[in-house]
Amino acid sequence: MEATRSPMIHQPRTLGELSLLFQRIEHPLLWAGGTYLMSRSDFYPFPSKAQIVDLGRIEELKRISRTDRHIDIGAMVTTSSLLSAGKLVLPSILKSALGSIISHITRRQITIGGSVCEPESRMAFSTALAVLDAQAEIRKWDEGRFTAAWIPVNRLYDKRGALLLGKTPFVLTKIRLGLEWGDFQRFVLIDNPIRTPDTAILVAFQATRNQTALTKVRFSASFPKRAFHLSPELENQLSLLNLPIHPDRVNTISYEMAHDLMNRHESITEFQAERTRRVFESFLHELNIQTLS
Amino acid sequence: MKLECTIDSKALTLHVNSTKPLSLMLIEDVGVKSMLSHCRGNACGNCIVLVDDVAVLSCIVPAFRLKDAKIRTFETFHRTRLCRDIERAYRVSGNKPCPDCYASKTLLIESILTELMGSSRSREEGVVDEKAIMQELSLNTCPCMDVTELLAITIQAFEYRRRRRGSN
Repeated sequence: MEATRSPMIHQPRTLGELSLLFQRIEHPLLWAGGTYLMSRSDFYPFPSKAQIVDLGRIEELKRISRTDRHIDIGAMVTTSSLLSAGKLVLPSILKSALGSIISHITRRQITIGGSVCEPESRMAFSTALAVLDAQAEIRKWDEGRFTAAWIPVNRLYDKRGALLLGKTPFVLTKIRLGLEWGDFQRFVLIDNPIRTPDTAILVAFQATRNQTALTKVRFSASFPKRAFHLSPELENQLSLLNLPIHPDRVNTISYEMAHDLMNRHESITEFQAERTRRVFESFLHELNIQTLS
Repeated sequence: MKLECTIDSKALTLHVNSTKPLSLMLIEDVGVKSMLSHCRGNACGNCIVLVDDVAVLSCIVPAFRLKDAKIRTFETFHRTRLCRDIERAYRVSGNKPCPDCYASKTLLIESILTELMGSSRSREEGVVDEKAIMQELSLNTCPCMDVTELLAITIQAFEYRRRRRGSN
C-alpha cells in the first residue's frame, strides 16, 4: 500500500530535460541535497501528489569553473567538494563559513544551491556570500521557457531571511564570485544554528585596507529563522574611517550597530544583538591591532 | 517505489515510499536492531550508517537516492577488522558509549578514521587536527561521553589503524 502513495520522482540528466519537465509539471518540487526538506518534522509521509524533481543527476550543475575574473560554482556542488577544491583558492571567509558546518558527514550532503534557496533560514554560506557581493544565476520559468538573470545574493532575501523570489518556479543554476576580495575577512558562527537557533548568530565581515584607510567594507549577520541583517549605512560609515579607529569610536559604532539591529529586527533577542555587537567590535579591534603591529 | 539495494551484504528488493528516510526503512522494513530511533531529521547524530562506504545521517537520505546502493549498518560493521581498532581503543580507555549511541558513535569514529587515512600527512606522520575531530564528534548529541574522551579514543584508534596498515 505504501508504494502506491509515493510522490512521483523525476531525475533529469540535463538542463534540457529539466526544461521539458517544467513544461509538464505545474508545481515541481526541486530536490537538491534534501537536508532542509528532510529535517522538517512534517516531512514524512510526504504528500503523495507532490512531483519531486531530483537535481542530483544533472552534471552541469555540479561544475566549478574559474576564469580570470570570476569563479562559477554549480548549484549541486556540495559544501564538502567545494571545500576540497584546492586549486580554486576560495576566499578565506568562504572556507571558514563552509568549515563551520558541523560535520563532514553533513557537508557531503548539503549543496550550494540548496543552502542559498532554503526558504526560511539563512545559514553560513548565504551569510558569507552576502559580503562577497556574489551573484546567483536564477532561471525563472515564465511563459513556457526559462529566462536567466543574475541577481546579487544579498537581494535574494527579505529582512527575516526568507527567500524573495515569489511564486514563479525557478532554478538556481550557479553562484558567481568575483576575484577581488578584501584583505581582511572574518566569519564567526556561535552556537549551532540547527539545534539552538534562539541563541545562534552568524556574522561575516570583509574590508580592504588601503594604507590607513578602510574601504569596501561589507557586513552581514544572520539569525536562523529570525533575521538576515545587512546595513549599507554602517558599511558606508566604516568605509570613511582611517585606521586605527579610536577605541571610543569602536565602542560607539558597535553600540550603534546593535541598536540598529534591534530596531530593524524585533524578532532577535537582546542576547543575540549583544553577541553580534561583541563579535563586530572584535573585528574592529583586530583591524586596529593589525594596523599598529 | 520498488527499490533494489544491498543492506548488510543482502541483496534486497523493497517496496517503499519514494521519500521514506533510510533510517525509517532500516527500522520498519529491514528490522535493523542497531537503529534505535528516528529523530525526523533533528540531527541527533544517532542514525549514522555507511552508504557505498561513506558515512551518512540516514534520517536525511530518502529512498529514491538509494537505487543500487550498498548500505552497511553497525550490525555487519562490528564484525569487521576496522571495528576492532575502535573497540580496542574503547577497551584501553576504559570507557565506551552507552547502548543508545554505541553504533552511531562507532561509525562516526570510523568515518573520521577514513578521512584521516585518506590524508597522506595524517597517515604517514600521524598528524591530526584535534579541533576538526572534535567538531566532527559533536555531530552525535548523546551526552553519555565527554567529547575529549571521544577524541582520545579516536586518536588511539587511529594509531591502531596506522600500525595495522603499516604492517600490512
